[in-house]
Amino acid sequence: MTNQTQKKDTVVIGLGNPLLSDEGIGVCLAEQLSQRQSEFPLVDFVDAGSAGLNLLHLIANRKKAVIIDCAKMGTQPGTIRRFTPDDVQSVKKLNQYSLHEADILQVVKLSQQLGECPREIAFFGIEPESLQPGRELSESLSAKINAFIEIIEKELR
Amino acid sequence: MSQQISKNLDINVHHITRVEGHGNIAVNVTNGKIEKLQWQVPEAPRFFEAMVRGHNYQDIQLIASRICGICSITHSFAATKAIESAMGLEVSQQADKIRVLMHYSEQLQSHSLHIGYLAAPDFFGAPSVVPLVAKAADVVKTIVKIHRTADEWSDLIAGRTTHPVTIIPGGLTRIPTEKQFCQLQQNLKDTIQDLKKIAEAVLSVADNLPKFERPTEYVSLKQTDPPTYTFYHGGITSTDINGKILPIEKWHEVANEYIVEQSTAKWAKWNRDAYAVGALARFNNNAELLSHSAKEAAKTFGLQKGCCNPFMNTVAQLVECFHVVETSIAMIDELLTKGLKDEKVTSSPKAGKGTGCVEAPRGILFHEYEFDKNGNCVAADMCIPTNQNHANIQKDFEKLLPEILDEEENQIRLKLEMLVRAYDPCISCSTHFLDVQFIR
Repeated sequence: MTNQTQKKDTVVIGLGNPLLSDEGIGVCLAEQLSQRQSEFPLVDFVDAGSAGLNLLHLIANRKKAVIIDCAKMGTQPGTIRRFTPDDVQSVKKLNQYSLHEADILQVVKLSQQLGECPREIAFFGIEPESLQPGRELSESLSAKINAFIEIIEKELR
Repeated sequence: MSQQISKNLDINVHHITRVEGHGNIAVNVTNGKIEKLQWQVPEAPRFFEAMVRGHNYQDIQLIASRICGICSITHSFAATKAIESAMGLEVSQQADKIRVLMHYSEQLQSHSLHIGYLAAPDFFGAPSVVPLVAKAADVVKTIVKIHRTADEWSDLIAGRTTHPVTIIPGGLTRIPTEKQFCQLQQNLKDTIQDLKKIAEAVLSVADNLPKFERPTEYVSLKQTDPPTYTFYHGGITSTDINGKILPIEKWHEVANEYIVEQSTAKWAKWNRDAYAVGALARFNNNAELLSHSAKEAAKTFGLQKGCCNPFMNTVAQLVECFHVVETSIAMIDELLTKGLKDEKVTSSPKAGKGTGCVEAPRGILFHEYEFDKNGNCVAADMCIPTNQNHANIQKDFEKLLPEILDEEENQIRLKLEMLVRAYDPCISCSTHFLDVQFIR
């Protein structure tokens, strides 16, 4: 994982908490991709964990941000879906700004208002099977790790 | 007219916005009689204590660092200090000083975030920070700059903005270079100027902070050797025990955790039926030890020791921002004057029990672990600051509501919400998953 002081054009951010099973899928994938840093010299890979509003700074003034996260999308566990901020609305309308549940879409909006938002933002949402306490991914997700990596890789080439 | 409206009230804030996690406010008033008034926490427990059991002492910090996305450095230190106590590990003066610097970075991160993104909309009358950009662009940009500096500061010393990786039992795995420390110091000098701008902005709307007081017991760390406005060292004190200090190992006698029906989180009480922790508690116990610019900031706001207006907690956080930045500038000088040394850290397991206690931005935090002879964790106990504040929030509600009952319902709701937000509660640690509906 890279130090954020020297920012590269593209940032890949893995979000989530690896202590809560599939909640950690974003962190797991960012970590795996970072092992191949040499193939992606213009990309920063960041395990941002439960970073909340720190996301604002991680994406600031980049050309592109790719955000990988566990997402409840009403699909089958293990489904991966690419979307942009314009494609979705947050279900958490009540949480205008709560941190551990920082509404990432609101962070993007703030970034846009501050005039420092990347031109391109791509989310990769992965439908969880389990969010129970535990450090292992569910079978549905762990069986598909390589497929997830392949899909995200294409976004970076 | 307003009095009539307020005679019957049915407020159900489910869930309160701009706090971390889920908390509800339930109010029912019939014919001017308060029938229900509750601060409720419905969050499911996370079982972090069970999660660390069976793990080796060298892995505990990495798990503890994931408990919270805001206080990850604090949780890491509480865990690591408990381990060091259990294993009898000494930390060098240099590592100790750099750890304190790291801890300060988190105080600035969290406080600037609370003041700027969560509390400021209340002060300026905006629903959230996004519309606030249009209303007070300079203020938001300055707070973003301060928050960014704090993030980079954590990143530099902790190895990551959130969830630190450089802390290990006995010391640190790596430290910044002299050049990096010099750059950080310059950034912090700039931050003092930015903090002054924020203080001016907050002062201009300080009249919007409700004038409410309730005599309260304030609990925090206190350090006498040397006397320090402490976040990291020292023992436990309270405004109710005349400056006495209890060893951190006695934290169970302080927190006296108990269970109530209205909350899935535990409550705490010590010398009264509730106590408060956080910036205002630290200020009330240690204000005379603040740095010069922090004292000046407190003076500007009329914040004095003995203040028992919980809404002033946000001002105390701002005062602490000055303190951690100004103190860090001096600490970097001390480190560089002595010269940075490359230190190797080794440790070996041993059976034992240890307590770690540090101040999270939102108050005093306790971790306690027991290890077998191989250094594997056999028992763990944690007591987080927000749980220590829940009972106090309820007691504040009980005094505040009768005092504002003749106000409009929206005003009552707002003041109750602002009161909760003033405590900067951190209810649901470390979950954030996206919940989305596709619109195209």
